Amino acid sequence: MTIENVSRRKFLKTSGVAAGGLWLGVTIPNAAMAKLGLEDEAVFNPNAFIHIAENGDTLIYCGRCEMGQGISTALPAAVADELEADWSRVTVKQADGNEELYGSQATGGSASIRTMYIPMREAGAAAKLMLIAAAAKVWNVSSEDCYAESHKVINRKNNQQLSYGELASLAARVPVPEKPALKEKADYKYIGKDLARHNQGDIVVGQLTYGVDTKIPGLKYGAIVHCPVFEGKLKSLDKTEAMKMKGVEAVVEIPRFEVPYGSIGGVAVVANNTWTAQQAVKKLKIEWDLGPNNTYDTAAYKAQLVKNVENPAQLAAERGDIEKAFANAEHKVSATYTGGHLSHSPMEPNASVVWVQDDSCEVWAATQSPADIQKVLGQYLKRKPKDILVHVTMSGGAFGRKFKCDYVQEAAVLSQAVNAPVQLTWSREEDMRTGYYHSINAQHIEASIDKDGNVTGWLHRAAFMPIASLFNGKLDRAPANNLNEIRNHPFGIENLRSETGEAKRHTRIGWYRAVYAIFYGFAYGTFADEMANKVGQDTFTFLNNLYDSNKNPEQEEQVRRSKGALALAAEKSQWFSRDKLPKNQGIGIAVHYSFNTYVAMAVHVEVNGDDIRVLNVDCAVDCGQVLNIDSATAQMEGAVVMATALSLRTEIVFRDGAVVNSNFHNYPVLRINEMPKVKAHFIDNGDKPTGLGEPGLGPYPAALSNAVFAASGKRYRDLPFKPMPV
Amino acid sequence: MAQTITINGKTHEVDVEGDMPLLWYLRDNLEYTGTKFGCGMGLCGACTVHIDGQATRSCVMPVSAVFGKSITTIEGLSENGDHPLQKAWLKNKVPQCGYCQAGQIMNAASFLAQNPSPTEEQIDNAMQGNICRCGTYQRIKAAISEAALELGKEV
Repeated sequence: MTIENVSRRKFLKTSGVAAGGLWLGVTIPNAAMAKLGLEDEAVFNPNAFIHIAENGDTLIYCGRCEMGQGISTALPAAVADELEADWSRVTVKQADGNEELYGSQATGGSASIRTMYIPMREAGAAAKLMLIAAAAKVWNVSSEDCYAESHKVINRKNNQQLSYGELASLAARVPVPEKPALKEKADYKYIGKDLARHNQGDIVVGQLTYGVDTKIPGLKYGAIVHCPVFEGKLKSLDKTEAMKMKGVEAVVEIPRFEVPYGSIGGVAVVANNTWTAQQAVKKLKIEWDLGPNNTYDTAAYKAQLVKNVENPAQLAAERGDIEKAFANAEHKVSATYTGGHLSHSPMEPNASVVWVQDDSCEVWAATQSPADIQKVLGQYLKRKPKDILVHVTMSGGAFGRKFKCDYVQEAAVLSQAVNAPVQLTWSREEDMRTGYYHSINAQHIEASIDKDGNVTGWLHRAAFMPIASLFNGKLDRAPANNLNEIRNHPFGIENLRSETGEAKRHTRIGWYRAVYAIFYGFAYGTFADEMANKVGQDTFTFLNNLYDSNKNPEQEEQVRRSKGALALAAEKSQWFSRDKLPKNQGIGIAVHYSFNTYVAMAVHVEVNGDDIRVLNVDCAVDCGQVLNIDSATAQMEGAVVMATALSLRTEIVFRDGAVVNSNFHNYPVLRINEMPKVKAHFIDNGDKPTGLGEPGLGPYPAALSNAVFAASGKRYRDLPFKPMPV
Repeated sequence: MAQTITINGKTHEVDVEGDMPLLWYLRDNLEYTGTKFGCGMGLCGACTVHIDGQATRSCVMPVSAVFGKSITTIEGLSENGDHPLQKAWLKNKVPQCGYCQAGQIMNAASFLAQNPSPTEEQIDNAMQGNICRCGTYQRIKAAISEAALELGKEV
C-alpha cells in the first residue's frame, strides 16, 4: 500500500461522510496561512486514514472491522503514536467499505495487526513530517530544526510552537514523504500501553450503534425462518394467518442464492416492528422439501469419521521413511481425537439494514467483510460492487460468523420487495440452527519413539468437513493443503506421513475463531502429554526435548519461540510445584503456534467425580510487539471463556439433517460462575507484531485435557469432553 | 389502569399490542436501542432493564404487564453516565464488543441496590443470567466489587 494525498473532494465522495459540520464549517485557518494565501484548504487529509481540522480535532479512520477485538483502538493508537498526536484530541471512526482507499478490510485470520501495523504507522509518520515541514516553512527554518510533540510542532532553537490545528491547512500543501522513518520502541507513547477502547464510554451508556441498532426514516422490520436443512427448498407456503396480523406488510419467499455467502433460503415477514414480524413468521404454514442432506446425523457422521482416520486414507504429505521408524520403535503411541460442530453465537444475532433503490443501494451492517457485501449484493442486484455503499457498524461479537453476509443479502431481497429500507434481525434460533459451523472432525495419530525417548515417526490422519466445501460442494474431504499444519508443525518429526480422510459436506462450514487450530491444537497438545506419559517424562521436559530434536534450520524460530512461550507458562503457573497440589487438582500444559503467534497455556483444575472446575489459567504469549497490553490480555481472557465451553460441553448436533440446538439453554456457553482466574503474560520481544484474536484457542483444550488427566487419571480425547444432551 | 409506561422519567402512552415484549417497544417504537436483543427467551440477560428498580428481562415481559410502572434503561441509569458501576466498568476496561454490557450493568445495579457489599460468590449467583461471549466475566466481577466499595463510601 502506498500513502497518497486524498483530496477532500474525493474523500467526501467516496467515504459517504455527510458534507456538513466538520468538513465545511471551517473558516480561515489562521493569520500565518492567510498571509500565504492558503486559506481555502481547511482540513488536512494526508491520506485516507487521517484528517486534522483547523481546530486540531483529529479523526483517524479504521478500515478494519471492529467486533470487540480492539482493532479500532490498537491501530489508530499506532497512527497517533507516529503522528505525535494527543490521543485526547483523536476521534476514531469506522471506515465505510472502500478497499481502494483502505486496503483489504476483510477482518479475520488474526491478520489486521500483522498486515496493517506498518502501513498505518507510516500514514501517521508521513502526516507528522508534513506538519513539521509546514511549520519549518512558516518559521523559515529547516525541518531538522523542528520536532513534533503532543499535537504541536516545536522550534528547537527558540521553543516557538505551532499547533497541529494551525498547521493543518498548510501541511496539506506539502508533498507526501515516500518512506517516512518510524519511531523506535523506546519512544512509543501509545503502542504497547493500555489505552482504553475508544468506544467504551459510549458502550456503558448504551449509545454505541450495532448492526441491530440502525434507525433511518421509513424503516421497516423483518424476521425470517430458513429451511432447516442445507440445500432444501420451499415446497408450499400458506401465509393467510400471518398476513392477517396487524402491522404485517409482506411475506416474502427468499430462494437459496447459490453463491458463497448467499442466503440458505427461507421465508421472511416484513412488518412495522420486529416483534410483529417474528410472531408472523411463527404463523406461516410451511412445507419444506428437505433435499439431499435430510439424513445428516452428527453422531453417526462422527463415528464414520473415526473409522475414516483409523484406516488408510488419501496421502496429503510424506517425508522420510515412517515404516522404518515404526519397525525400529521402542514405544508406539496412538490415539484418536474428535470434535463437533460449533456455532459462533455472538451476542448480537445477524442484523443489518439495507435500502435498495433504483439508482443506489445503501447498507448498514455489522460485518467482518464489507467488500464481500459489495460483491454478493452486486451479484444479487446485478450491479457493480462499488455501487453498493456499505456503512460498517460495530459488531456485537462475530467470531467469524459475520464474515459471511447471507443475512445482508436477505435484507436486500426484503427491501426490494417492499420498496423501503428494511432491518432484518435473525432470531437466536435461526442464528443457531441455520448458520455456518466449525468443522466436525476426527484425527488419528500414531507415533514411534526410540529407546532414548526421541519421536522418530509420525502418522497423522485427519478427516473434517473443510471450509473449502463452502465454495465447492463436490469436495469429499479436506484438500491436502488443509493439512499443512501437520507437515509444517514445529515438532519437525523426521519421518512423517499425513493423510486426509473422507468427510463429505452436509452443512455450511465457516471460519470459527481459531478455525482448524482448535482441533490441531487439541490433538497435538494432548498427544504430547500422552507420549510423555508413555516414556515416563513430565510433559514440559518432553516437549522441550521434542523441540530440541528439530534440527530443521527453517524452523529454528518456531522452535525457539514455542519453547519460550512454554517456559513462561510453566514459570508463571504452579507447574514446577504441582506435586504439592491437593490430590484432586492438576495442571496441564500445552503450546500451540497458529496465525503466526505462539501461545502456551497452563491450566489448573479441580476434579470432583464428574465435575471439572477450572481454577487458574496462565497464558504465555509471544505475539511480537504488543500493540495494546490491555486488549491483548482481554483476548486471552476471551479465548479461555470460549474454549472452556467448547472443551467441556457445547456442540451443535444435527439429526435428520437439521440442527437440534436452538438457544442458550441447549447450547450452554460459559457463564460468570465458571470463570477461572486468567492471567496473561507477554514475551513482548519487539518482534514484528502478530494477531491475537484467534491463537488463544489453540493450546487451551489440550492443556485442559492434560490437567484433568493429571487430577483424575481420566483422559478426554473428544471435544466436547461431556456433551450436554440435546 | 391507564395504558402508560414511564421510561427514564418520561411517561409514554402505549399504542402497541399489549403482548409486545417491553424490549421491542423500547427498541422499535421508542428507539431506545441501548437495551439489546440476545435470545428472546430470558436466557442471556442482554435485554435487562429495571422495572420499579428490579432487574427484569424485557424480552419476555409484555408491555401490558408494566402499565403504570416505572422503567429504567441503560440510557437512564445515571444523569451523566457516572453511576459507580459505569465508572467501574470504564476503569476496569470491561467491554470488548460491549453488546451485553448494558444488560450486565443494569443487572448489577439492581443487585447492588439490594446487596451493597456482596461476596464473590454472591456476585457469581446474581450475574449468572447474563451471558458475555467475548469473555469479560473476570473484569465484570472486579468492576462490581469495586463499585460496591465506592457505593459504600457514598452512604
